[in-house]
Amino acid sequence: MAAVPDDASVADSSALLEASGLIKSFGPVVALRGADLRVRGGEIHALMGANGAGKSTLVKILTGALTADGGTITLGGRPRTFHSTSEARRAGLICVYQDPSLLPDLTVLQNLKLTATPISLFRHYLAELGLEGFDLQSLPRELARPTLSLLDLARALAIEPQLLLLDEITASLPADLTVRVFNVARQLRAEGRSVIFISHRLAEVGALCDRATVLRDGKTVGVVEPAQGGEERIVKLMLGPVAEEVAAEAASPSAPATGAVSMEVRDLKAGMLSGVSFMLRFGEVLGVAALEGQGQQELFDCLAGVRRPESGQIVVGGKARVFRHPADAIRAGVVLIPADRLQALLRQRSVRENIALPLVNRFSRWGPINPRREKRRVESAVKRLQIDTRVQSEVRRLSGGNQQKVGIARWLASGFNTLLCFDPTRGIDIGTKRQIYGLVKELAANGSAVLLFTSELPEIQLACNRVIVLFGGELVDEMPASEADEQALLRAAHGLPSEADAEQQAPEGA
Amino acid sequence: MATSVAAKVSGPAGINAGRAVRRYGWTVAVYVLFATLMVATLIVKPDFGAFEWNTLTLAALPLAFAAAAQTMVVLSGGIDLSVGPLMALANVLALRATVGHDLRYSVGVALLVLLEVTLAGALNGAIIVLTRVPDIVVTLAMSFVWAGLALLVLAKPTPGIPLDFQNLAQGSTFSPWVPNALLLLLVIPLVWIPLRRSRAGLAIYAVGSDRNAAFRSGVNLGLSRVLAYAVGGFFAACGGLALSMTTGVGSPLAGTYYTLSGVSAIVLGGVSLAGGRGGMLGPLAAAYILSLIPAVLIYLGIDPNYGQMIQGVLIVIVVMIGGIGTVLRRA
Amino acid sequence: MAALMVAAFALVACGNQSTGGGTTKYVVGVSNTLTGNGWREEMICSIKAQAKASGVVSKVIVANRTTDAAGQIADIRNLISSGANVIVINPSDRDALNAVIKQATDKGIVVVAVDQAVSEPTAYVVSNDQVAYGQLGADWLAKQLNGKGNIIEMRGINGVPADTDRHQGLTTALAQYPNIKVIKQTFTNWSLDPAAQQMKDIFSSGIQYDGIWTSGIDSTVVDQFQSSNKPFVPIVGADNNKFVQELATLKDKGLKGAAVTNPPPIGGAGLAVGLAVLQKTHSYDHVIHLTPQVWDNTTADGAAKLAQTYDSSLDPYYSVAFDVKPYTTYSKQDLISCAGPS
Repeated sequence: MAAVPDDASVADSSALLEASGLIKSFGPVVALRGADLRVRGGEIHALMGANGAGKSTLVKILTGALTADGGTITLGGRPRTFHSTSEARRAGLICVYQDPSLLPDLTVLQNLKLTATPISLFRHYLAELGLEGFDLQSLPRELARPTLSLLDLARALAIEPQLLLLDEITASLPADLTVRVFNVARQLRAEGRSVIFISHRLAEVGALCDRATVLRDGKTVGVVEPAQGGEERIVKLMLGPVAEEVAAEAASPSAPATGAVSMEVRDLKAGMLSGVSFMLRFGEVLGVAALEGQGQQELFDCLAGVRRPESGQIVVGGKARVFRHPADAIRAGVVLIPADRLQALLRQRSVRENIALPLVNRFSRWGPINPRREKRRVESAVKRLQIDTRVQSEVRRLSGGNQQKVGIARWLASGFNTLLCFDPTRGIDIGTKRQIYGLVKELAANGSAVLLFTSELPEIQLACNRVIVLFGGELVDEMPASEADEQALLRAAHGLPSEADAEQQAPEGA
Repeated sequence: MATSVAAKVSGPAGINAGRAVRRYGWTVAVYVLFATLMVATLIVKPDFGAFEWNTLTLAALPLAFAAAAQTMVVLSGGIDLSVGPLMALANVLALRATVGHDLRYSVGVALLVLLEVTLAGALNGAIIVLTRVPDIVVTLAMSFVWAGLALLVLAKPTPGIPLDFQNLAQGSTFSPWVPNALLLLLVIPLVWIPLRRSRAGLAIYAVGSDRNAAFRSGVNLGLSRVLAYAVGGFFAACGGLALSMTTGVGSPLAGTYYTLSGVSAIVLGGVSLAGGRGGMLGPLAAAYILSLIPAVLIYLGIDPNYGQMIQGVLIVIVVMIGGIGTVLRRA
Repeated sequence: MAALMVAAFALVACGNQSTGGGTTKYVVGVSNTLTGNGWREEMICSIKAQAKASGVVSKVIVANRTTDAAGQIADIRNLISSGANVIVINPSDRDALNAVIKQATDKGIVVVAVDQAVSEPTAYVVSNDQVAYGQLGADWLAKQLNGKGNIIEMRGINGVPADTDRHQGLTTALAQYPNIKVIKQTFTNWSLDPAAQQMKDIFSSGIQYDGIWTSGIDSTVVDQFQSSNKPFVPIVGADNNKFVQELATLKDKGLKGAAVTNPPPIGGAGLAVGLAVLQKTHSYDHVIHLTPQVWDNTTADGAAKLAQTYDSSLDPYYSVAFDVKPYTTYSKQDLISCAGPS
């Protein structure tokens, strides 16, 4: 392991990368107003900040995708300015992003040629990431997303970078693959190279990183050692003064609810999903825990009317339903919040139009829209969700968190009884995340039923009353939220019996 | 547990046959369609011979070049509505410069025309990259500019392309079954194959496939797109010269029909209008198919007006089959 | 429109008597490159009617599509491949078809260019004298305007031989009238919609005009005057059915105009010449010109001719001329039924 770092405020002459006073604005919008970052050789350094704090702008400047308006960057003691990503790459700086940068229509081999990546080193790192014998003639378009992330990472490693930037790479990786990425990062550290790690998952930062630089509103507000109980400090720094109350609000797990049955799923089969049955009650948030690709996508698609099940029943309001189209599900009061917010939203239209879209059906089948009534409902929804924007702005200009809120707001405005949330907080900063979980809980408390899948297991306890676990397309476990700590969920999600089951034959949560 | 997930994400390495079908299926299907149509033609017209083959190749020649021009641009994620007028420009420039000269001089002129119209194509691309105005708007506007320029060069159709030069397309120097027009078509693979294998060619595919990922991969987006338009201009110039050789006249209106029929050919040939997917071989066969249909209708004595309907139906069917392929790929 | 026409013919078509005498043995090919145009449709029907009336034609193959010279070359080559003995073409270019025409005539095929000329000497050209067409109409218009004023020239398809010839005739005629100015020139592509749009543009642009010369898209121009409530100015058109009717009926409302004849049955005439050459029953010059007539609704003779030739049984966009004597031998019914030898 690396040496315990010094106090961050001490000027550091051994820095590999030193960026100070970086300034960048896009027209009237200021993205960075004096950001500092010092990364030592042989260090894994976290870069933290809420959405819009300036992390991505900083990363883009470091890797040459953008040029700063002011400030200096030194690499290995020499001042540098990068005008293109290839220039930064030649200097040993490379970034791997959350959405993989492989061209979907070129074969993997062609992708490597395009970036002049040494093939044998690529293969070497691929093997280290657990993909030995990978077929380089595959088309990225035909590969699963976690695989693409690993390929992208191996491609970056193959140029043997001095400084590797990992921008939210774990957001789309299942837990087991995340572990492999961490091992590679630690190995780089051991070789004296450095990693800048960006993630919204505090636990990961705590487990992996030596130090963390926290950005807020385009400025560096602190450098923290997460390992020494620094996680709470990071959250405080990120969120500023309001952090604590929000955090406290979402903290305690809720008890299972006993309301009427909103939806019953009987022996549902579709693709990967092989016979799943459960009940969802009004007034509860039912969590779904699963590793990548265990049938959760099929489950949510069937329930939302996006896909037709091969067999089994979906009973809503006491009647077995056949959803041929999302409109059928919406009519039955079942609505979906997808992970990819932009899948559900019209990105070039205004917030108002997006929220009003499902209303159109309700107000006037095909006739003219009553603007006053529409406006009233939209505005009340915007107010309830604290969407901090004007309702006229285009959705694509909003931050991810605000986009997700618009997605929820549209259903609030149009009315529903069962909310399906499929990984609604993917890539969203911790403050907004907690707001969204708070909202979901509030909706359930007001009598709605919520089914929530999240790829971040520790989050389940924050939001849910009860949890079901999918593994290999089957429902393998069910437990109340109070028992669903990360460890228990991880075991169950990997298909292992829970310790309690193994030792005490404890009864399942109701 | 880790191995199980790894196996799932990496996939077994022995499914290459299926993958080849998926990846090259469309191109193969277009050639199968062409072969089927040829067999049908031989049944309709058992005395189909070298003369008919030459007819077909002559008809396909300008269309194939127009399709090649459009393919280059569409692969890079754009669309060029000025292919026809660029062909006209090459056509009238060639006439102006070759009237009354010998073959060697004419070939020299042809090379110069290729260069000029390549630059015109590059200008299309440069305007798009620099102004950030969408491709369809810029090339629509430029189509009027190039058409106007063609009219300035030559106000009305004028004969005078040297006969020897015409013979470069119309004759059959080596064998009646290898018409010169067929040899001219070789220009397409001769330019395409080295380009396809170069980094520049990869960059063109990359830009059309995913601009953001291409940028992160260090591709120079602007340059790649300008290159695509320039090579497109080169093929359009070839098309214009092909019209000079097959008609022997220069006409400011030459090429009018080729902008749209070129798009038909690339759609039939499996080039995705969304960019980044497809190749040059499919459109080449598609140009032959689209030229064969009116011929067969004449052999059958059916009003070739139906040919347009048949072309439309054919494109819809092929695109639908392609769509089914995509669905299968996803499942 | 085509569907309506087909329906109309179906109603009119009665049992046609077969005129077959002797052995029918020749194959006739037709190549036309402008579709959706009434004049060209009538031209093709006249070829079919003449083929049937001749009694020596076994089959008429029509290659009819909107295409350019390169496409027409392919069509003609395909007609050669199909065993045509006579090929009647309406050429899209004066010179571009020469090579393929030469190939055909080398094989003993008789090639007749109708309506417009080609420069290949082995071809026969049977056409209206298009230079005279332009000249006569322009001369009439200039006289109507007393040799002074602005006129609009609504041409056909740029670069097509007939258009070039007519323009030349018009220019020649107007050289005599220095005070007549062509203030605007448009290309209608011999289609109705562009012509209608161009008239709207002219009305809204405020151009001062005293007369309009058209290359045959005439009734559309009259219609635009009516629908826009503009006072008529003298209009020159062709002998199209609807225009002829309008010249007769709108005279009271101030429409002065002249129809210059340009008979579509020139196609049938071309075939008659081709068959005669093929059978060696008659020898013809390689270039045969019809001299157009001017039917003028301001003179008694002209008005009488117009009233007499309007034919309610004909499509409005067809020409009133259904034959070209002495060449064609079919009846009006044959033309209307548009059926070739079966």
